Amino acid sequence: MSSSVENREMDSGTRRSDRPDMRRITYRETHSSRAAVSVAAAILVLVLAAYGVLESGVHAVGQPAWLIEPQVAAQRIVDLPAGISPLLLAVIGAVLAMLGLIFLLNGVLPGKRARHLLAGGRGERLPAVVVDDEVIASSLARRARLAANVTPEQVMVVVSQRQVLVNVRPTSGVPVDQDAVLAAVQDELDRMMLEPVPVARVNVTASGVIGA
Amino acid sequence: MNSTPALLNRILLTVLGLFLLAAGILLVLLATLPPAASWWHAWAAGAWGGVNQLFDSTRFPGRPESWLWIVVALALLALMGLMVAWIAQQGKGRANLLAAEYDPGGTPGDVRIGGGVAEQALRQALEGRPDLAGATVTTYDVKGSPALKVRLLPRQGVAPHLLAAEVSGLLDALESVVGKEIPVLIHIGAGARTRFGRAERVR
Repeated sequence: MSSSVENREMDSGTRRSDRPDMRRITYRETHSSRAAVSVAAAILVLVLAAYGVLESGVHAVGQPAWLIEPQVAAQRIVDLPAGISPLLLAVIGAVLAMLGLIFLLNGVLPGKRARHLLAGGRGERLPAVVVDDEVIASSLARRARLAANVTPEQVMVVVSQRQVLVNVRPTSGVPVDQDAVLAAVQDELDRMMLEPVPVARVNVTASGVIGA
Repeated sequence: MNSTPALLNRILLTVLGLFLLAAGILLVLLATLPPAASWWHAWAAGAWGGVNQLFDSTRFPGRPESWLWIVVALALLALMGLMVAWIAQQGKGRANLLAAEYDPGGTPGDVRIGGGVAEQALRQALEGRPDLAGATVTTYDVKGSPALKVRLLPRQGVAPHLLAAEVSGLLDALESVVGKEIPVLIHIGAGARTRFGRAERVR
């Protein structure tokens, strides 16, 4: 036990999230998993394969087919444009292509979640921290609201991967200092030390709110 | 952070997607373009002829059926088994033990610390904080070694970096109690409870 404590003190200079398994964990938390789509795809293949097993098994023991004889089905596919209305064929093809496109895009697209990593300051040794963009937005909105001296309903913050947009609707007759709001939001962002670093923008609308 | 096979999922989905996409585009082309139909006839008839010949040459002696059908059925059964295995891989990875090590002290035997220790201790420590609407702690098994996932649901307007620093202090205390460094992931999230709950006004 004592040796592990010493090890911990020795490597306290390096951040914990630098270790390879931590990088894998944070990757998994910031990218959406394809588990649900994978299960759907597996069930689709499973059902088709089950039908294939049934027909080929029935055929192998010389019994009459359940729905269609495999050889008759293959012959129909070979003759294809004939024997079916072109509209129906095109619709079936479009549906199949659509399904294929959904699976393909799920397999290829990066699938980033609306989350940021928190890097942590120099002095403090943070474990791996993943924050939903919604939490960042509400924290920034609170700070912007205090800097602009408006009610919570007058501030709207949109956080995306590389951009933070702060919309402020001033109270009618009370001007809002755009630079002060931007400085406050930037200060809060600097303290958070997000990864990737978003760029903050403040947008003060021209029309004010009455009676707020 | 569970052990869902992320890369395998993507590869299999891509292969299946390409296959379905190709089949769908072929059907649409057959329905709309006459030249595609004539090409398909020439190619498919040749391929089907070859397959037919294969079936004819593999008949049971004295019977009209080919034993190739049994092979096809077995292959499809194997495919079904693989699909069931693929589904079973999704979302695994919860663990029960936080530490399990040989104790070199005077008493013979191992020391095992259950994941419930960390879960209950942290939940107790986080309970009653006014800035949290909820917190859950779970133990996962990441490539054979235990890891903790702390999911925090702060109320609206809570600064995430301050919350993370405070919880990190709790985790350091836990590590010194357990006597072992545990990889920890803190997830600060938002849910229905934080969205519709009251905002935190005073800290």
